[in-house]
Amino acid sequence: MDARLRRVNKEIADCKNDKASNIKIDLVDSSPFHLKGSFPGPKDTPYEGGVFEVDIVVPESYPFQAVKMKFITKVYHPNISSASGAICLDILKDAWSPVLTLKSTLISLQSLLCSPEPNDPQDAEVAKHYMTSKKSFEETARYWTHIYAGGLGSKGKVDTKEAAKDEIAIAGLEQTHVTQFEGLGFERSKVIDVLRRMNYRGSNAANISDERIIDELLK
Amino acid sequence: MDMDDFGDDFKVPQRTVRKTYEIEYESLPQSAVERLVANDIDHISGIFGVEASAASLLLRYMNWNKERLIEKYMDNASAVTVAAGISPPSRASPSALGPDRSQGSSSGTRTSGFRRSARQTPAPPKAKPQPFVCPICFDDTQASFAALACDHTFCSGCWTAYITGKIREEGEHAIRCMAEGCALVAPDPFVRTALTDDPETWERFNELLVRHFVASNPNLKYCPYPSCTYTVSCPTAASKSALTTIVPIVTCGPDANPPHRFCFGCPIESDHRPVICSIAKMWLKKCRDDSETANWIKSNTKECSNCQSTIEKNGGCNHMTCKKCKHEFCWVCMGPWSEHGTAWYSCNRYDEKGGVDARDAQSKSRASLERYLHYYNRWANHEQSAKLSVELYAKTEKKMEEMQVTSNLTWIEVQFMKKAVDEVFKCRMTLKWTYAMAYYLEKGNEKELFEDNQRDLERAVEDLSELLESQIEPEIIPTLRQKVTDKTVYVSKRNEIMLEDTAKGFLEGRWQWNVPVEGFD
Repeated sequence: MDARLRRVNKEIADCKNDKASNIKIDLVDSSPFHLKGSFPGPKDTPYEGGVFEVDIVVPESYPFQAVKMKFITKVYHPNISSASGAICLDILKDAWSPVLTLKSTLISLQSLLCSPEPNDPQDAEVAKHYMTSKKSFEETARYWTHIYAGGLGSKGKVDTKEAAKDEIAIAGLEQTHVTQFEGLGFERSKVIDVLRRMNYRGSNAANISDERIIDELLK
Repeated sequence: MDMDDFGDDFKVPQRTVRKTYEIEYESLPQSAVERLVANDIDHISGIFGVEASAASLLLRYMNWNKERLIEKYMDNASAVTVAAGISPPSRASPSALGPDRSQGSSSGTRTSGFRRSARQTPAPPKAKPQPFVCPICFDDTQASFAALACDHTFCSGCWTAYITGKIREEGEHAIRCMAEGCALVAPDPFVRTALTDDPETWERFNELLVRHFVASNPNLKYCPYPSCTYTVSCPTAASKSALTTIVPIVTCGPDANPPHRFCFGCPIESDHRPVICSIAKMWLKKCRDDSETANWIKSNTKECSNCQSTIEKNGGCNHMTCKKCKHEFCWVCMGPWSEHGTAWYSCNRYDEKGGVDARDAQSKSRASLERYLHYYNRWANHEQSAKLSVELYAKTEKKMEEMQVTSNLTWIEVQFMKKAVDEVFKCRMTLKWTYAMAYYLEKGNEKELFEDNQRDLERAVEDLSELLESQIEPEIIPTLRQKVTDKTVYVSKRNEIMLEDTAKGFLEGRWQWNVPVEGFD
């Protein structure tokens, strides 16, 4: 039997047998080389209560080359692209070792959720948000966990009734800021886009003049 | 005479008197570089009293810098040995050690990293007592296992697959242990054993080592031409400061035709004589950034006479209002609109004072653009002409060969064109770069002399180019041949003068620049 196939089969079986870790690996189609992993968000983090799904592609030369993983579930995290789910983690790149397994890699992703590395970001905007106001960042992350990962929702300010499609909260912005510029006749989506890009959040909002924002909006 | 087309290529390296614009260099085949590598390894292994494989890892870790390696090694041998991945960290920090730890501890030699490193090679495949299952492939039928000095044991099949992948796919020469977080590097004999059945990958591994050696050594540069394995050694051009006085154009290998010519000092893969690297780089950057945009700006826009914003008029009347400063002016005469009174849509106010002033300011800001375009157009023109002359020659050559069949001319008699075209091409390349140089030269006597040389060369080249375009008929060939040959010699001399004088100027520090240039103060 092909060494890669034997190994992946064993890994999937091992994972099934291990009930304690709460990590699941499932087939996506009939191929054992395209999988879907999932794990619960770690406790005491904004991701608590959510279940995060990860797309796993086992490359030809696995386990000598790293598995390819990206989040299927949208995650608000400095090292995970908020758009594509791409992950910035050393063991998925040059620090990969053939000894690592799918399960251990998923556990590493879980612990990445506990300890963001905003200095080596995948998503610069989210990282900026994290650096300027950790509290506001956590609120947004919790909100995303709630609407995308089926989490418990926030214990904070976000109103769960409005939740379904509240773009402002998703972008981690303040309602009042958005309405202020919307009031000038700009489209809401554009205002959100510009404010998000300029990191108009928390204490940073004071550093950005209204004129600069209007300049951006006019572009 | 009959070897004319090849003669030059052979003569270049044999010349006894070196011209100012040529530099000393040596082109080395891979085997020669391998010898240099072996020498360094022998040297280090002799001084430290370590095995060659360990010496190789140490040198690779220090990027082949022997002096620094010796210094560091004398300072703290075991730290360097650990950092280079030769021996595992001492017992005090057991973090990197795997599950087989208990086995290794009995040896007790770990603390002296260096003696330990001697033991690790050549890593004989060990027969592990059953049932040992390789933690990577989970295959319990494997019989042969291997480990580095860290005792992280895996089956030989996995080692081979891993090492092959690292070399083939990642081009890695420092191959780390497969265990997570283990920093040990596989020494050469270990790699060789793993690749016993794959000499090609072993070959590739050695090539990677040589490449790393060349890349780390400022005296050496790999030939950038695809699949060429030669290395050029040019110690005179190794330092940054040398590049302000010389243009290290080198050719590699005696076999390539045309020879692989490249610059030792910068990544421009062509002969940019007589211009030094930093000027060539600046010019190319400017051209990339500016040329097309500049042309467009020049032909489609004007500047607001009040705030100098660049404005494109894309329709409408001549009464312009600057979007930025709200200045109102006339597009035709550039004067303020207020002086136009009620003369809507027609500008008959040519000599109004305001209009003249505005046009003055405008022309000043355009002058620098004009200046750049002057040089750029000539630069681009020589490049284009050089290409065209080669194309033209391809046609002429055919005709000549036909003529050789139909008339009584010999093969040699119809070959004079080739030499002339080659010369034209070479000189156009020189000329091209002289325009880049002239753009940055500070006004003054030196620049004038430079431009005189440039003009003489250019005139000669244009004359020769024109001759090359003449209609070719059998009866005029003898005279044409005489003319072309004479002119070729003259052009070649002018080119020599241009290159020689410019190169001398760099050595004497004669050239002054109108912008700050890297390496000059």
